[in-house]
Amino acid sequence: MTDDRNDQRLRELARDYHRPPTGGAPREELWARIAAERARRRAAPRALVWRPWLRWGLAAAAVLVLGVALGRLTAPAGQLATPPDSAGVVAYRVAATQHLARTEALLASFRAEARTGRLDAQFGAQARDLLTTTRLMMDSPAARDPRLKSLLEDLEVVLAQIAQVPAGRAGEDVDLITQGIEQRSVLLRLQTAVPGGPGARAQGAL
Amino acid sequence: MTVAPASSVDERELIARVRAGDGLAERALYDAHVDRVFRLAYRLAGDDELARDFTQETFIRAFERLDSFRGEAALSTWLYTIATTVTLNGLRKLKRRGRELELDAAAEVAGGGARRAEPDLKARLYAAIDALSDKYRTVFVMHDVEGYTHEEIAAALKVEVGTSKAQLSRARAKLREALADFAGEWVT
Repeated sequence: MTDDRNDQRLRELARDYHRPPTGGAPREELWARIAAERARRRAAPRALVWRPWLRWGLAAAAVLVLGVALGRLTAPAGQLATPPDSAGVVAYRVAATQHLARTEALLASFRAEARTGRLDAQFGAQARDLLTTTRLMMDSPAARDPRLKSLLEDLEVVLAQIAQVPAGRAGEDVDLITQGIEQRSVLLRLQTAVPGGPGARAQGAL
Repeated sequence: MTVAPASSVDERELIARVRAGDGLAERALYDAHVDRVFRLAYRLAGDDELARDFTQETFIRAFERLDSFRGEAALSTWLYTIATTVTLNGLRKLKRRGRELELDAAAEVAGGGARRAEPDLKARLYAAIDALSDKYRTVFVMHDVEGYTHEEIAAALKVEVGTSKAQLSRARAKLREALADFAGEWVT
């Protein structure tokens, strides 16, 4: 007996495996269930989901605000822009490091997912969140470092582009964004700017 | 892996109407595909209520995500992708919640070299199918039981056509092995 005949016999025997009931799907009942469940989900209050990026975003924003406050409190009158080693500057650096680590993670994921041709809707939301923090950073003493300032300016452009990509549409726009990331060496510069290796990146520690 | 677009003009129009919020179009889309989605869910789950749950979730997700359907493959293929994902994930959750014992028992029956308490050939085969890994079982059920082509399976499971063929071949080999001591009986 050949393998073909064996396979044919297997197929015949397997026909009754988990055989569905005759008459097909219970259409009306299922349709009613689908309609009810969709209505229930639409009516359910949208709870704030504490996704990791949201927690990190809020934490970084909080550190940034704290840094601004500390900087202002500790600076002598008339010298708000100068103290190089104040608690405020340290706080800015902590916030910047955390922010850059999260941005690096987002851009790496974005680039990887763009290759698959499918983009999760979360990218837009995360990019908007990071864009807000990037702009705060650009206006903070953290941007006095010319290299960091240049990096933040490039990040602002890239994040603004990602924020505008429609959910699920990985097309020409996405290719242009990933090309921009490559051409500006954004990921490499982010990795250089975030010290201490993967562990420090994950924790956002200096 | 690419699948030639199979969407007819009618289907494209239907999708456009659903996207525009046309309830009748939603129902038409559902009617066109629900039987095959339900059959697939039933074949994989082996339980009427589970098949209903998985079919329900498949269409809810499909309607939620229709904007992300790009029309590169047929809508039916896209639906089978959702259906297999929903069903396999649902079954894994159930397994984690305490069905391990049942599945282990099935595997024991399938893997036993000697004929024990289950002398029936079909029962032995079904237990052996249950004992296959998810990927082998899904490909075997879709191809040999439900009659999907390798192209459809590959698109639905997001694997290469060659992978689908190889997995089917390995699944059949495992099943033949499980039925080895019935050789004289099932070769009729």
